[in-house]
Amino acid sequence: MSSTDLAERQAVFMQQILDENAPLPQGWGNSQAAGMQVYRGNYRSALMDALGETFERTARYVGEGPFQQVAAHHAITHPPASWTIDDAGAGFDESCAQLFGNNPEVAELAWLEWSMLGLATARDAVPLDGEAFAEETARFGDTDWAAMKLVLAPRAVSKQVAHDLTAMWSALGDEPFEMGDIACDRPRGCLVWREGERPTFTMVDAEEAQAFGAIQSGATYGEVCMLLAGDNASEQAIGDAAMRAGAMLGRWLNEGMIVELA
Amino acid sequence: MSNSNDMIEPFGGFGLGLRRTHYEDFLEGDVPVDFVEVISENYMIEGGRQLRILEEIREKHPVIIHGVSMSIGSAGGLDSDYLDKLKQLERRIDPLWVSDHLCWTRTSAHNSHDLLPLPLTGEALDVVCANIDRARDHLGRPMLFENPSSYLTFPEDELTEWEFLCEMARRTGCYLLLDVNNIYVSSRNHGFSVDEYLSGLPLERVRQIHLAGHTPGEIIIDTHDREVCDDVWALYAKAMKALPQPVATMIERDDKIPPLPELLSELDRARGIASEACEAVLA
Repeated sequence: MSSTDLAERQAVFMQQILDENAPLPQGWGNSQAAGMQVYRGNYRSALMDALGETFERTARYVGEGPFQQVAAHHAITHPPASWTIDDAGAGFDESCAQLFGNNPEVAELAWLEWSMLGLATARDAVPLDGEAFAEETARFGDTDWAAMKLVLAPRAVSKQVAHDLTAMWSALGDEPFEMGDIACDRPRGCLVWREGERPTFTMVDAEEAQAFGAIQSGATYGEVCMLLAGDNASEQAIGDAAMRAGAMLGRWLNEGMIVELA
Repeated sequence: MSNSNDMIEPFGGFGLGLRRTHYEDFLEGDVPVDFVEVISENYMIEGGRQLRILEEIREKHPVIIHGVSMSIGSAGGLDSDYLDKLKQLERRIDPLWVSDHLCWTRTSAHNSHDLLPLPLTGEALDVVCANIDRARDHLGRPMLFENPSSYLTFPEDELTEWEFLCEMARRTGCYLLLDVNNIYVSSRNHGFSVDEYLSGLPLERVRQIHLAGHTPGEIIIDTHDREVCDDVWALYAKAMKALPQPVATMIERDDKIPPLPELLSELDRARGIASEACEAVLA
């Protein structure tokens, strides 16, 4: 037996689990085929259970049958590679976007549930409070403010959305649920972070989600102001944008979304 | 109890697997267990409520960390990221010991999240022993490995499972976690004698026993979703009489988890059987 035999056998075994139509390995008989059915069933039920637990509200919203369908599709298109089954839900919002193309709110809800799960196990961090922020910035001049970078709470995320996720989340807390009109009349944003040990989220204007995302990508406060002002902005527009950025900063500090100045 | 870098001293307590359903019981009450066992991967995380709760419970009870994803039988070797995170947890919790299963779970491309069977060959033994050595070097302490339940055997098998475990323990110095239900399940699925299995093991290397329920059928499945059956209790009694040193006994329940008093009642039954076994040996 060569030193690669075990690796080859394990690759073939894994293929058997992933693809029930794969031909049986040489030398296998009925007893191995029956045993493989058990392993294949275990694999599928573990994945389906993990997805069902992570995307509880998404499952409730679309119903059991459609959820099983999208979960099976996701399991086939995203076979897990990570050592933790918690990662099985990565990309599930994209799977929902593919299968529920006429209902984009499903993918938004799945994104929110996935973000909340990630935040539950994020690194613990003490938020920067308004007083500490004031102390740190007390001697700032204009250039210091423009160059200021903010470090957001671990795994805090933002996204532009088109549906009222607060209303959806709240309605889906009950079973059976009643869902009103959830389409937003203009693009909105959603910020997700952790308050102490509790993942939470809030709906904001789309530009606030955009600004939050820019900060997360390493933009300075000055760059965020210019982003909000838009291209070829007048002095007045820049001033207005700076005011809006200041209001956002205040909210983020109050909500505990900022942990330090970089 | 003191564990040097190479030794795990015997510990004869009775414990339960810590599951989320019972967090409040453990946080608020004085649960009569000598230790709790947690699934390592659930706590190999950066922070949050779950980790804080484990640390609080650790202040009340010794903790064993028991993994399902080390994949000690992977031909491609161990995952460095996994080992790093396990070591972080081990440093944080200072467990009684760290354990995993004699199985494999992943290839370089995919993870099954199931405990898959190894062909019982000399090549697989070499791979397992090399991986155990690496895990011990990384963690700085020996580990326990659990005999798996299995649903198929391979035409290329060269050893029995007990011969494989025996040689694995001899070559690496690792310890054994004896899952009595797994012995029963595999013996029924593959037709070997439980007595031959027990008598073939290096029992002096056993430090812990798992007891669990299974689902009967043409192939018996290790589901951990019900009470321990009488046949497994009988096998536990036999094992306890044969073991030359105290071992830690634990009830494992992972599905259809009942209220804590039901599990404590099962644990009391284990205490009774262990006590009778001890008296029988002394007599």
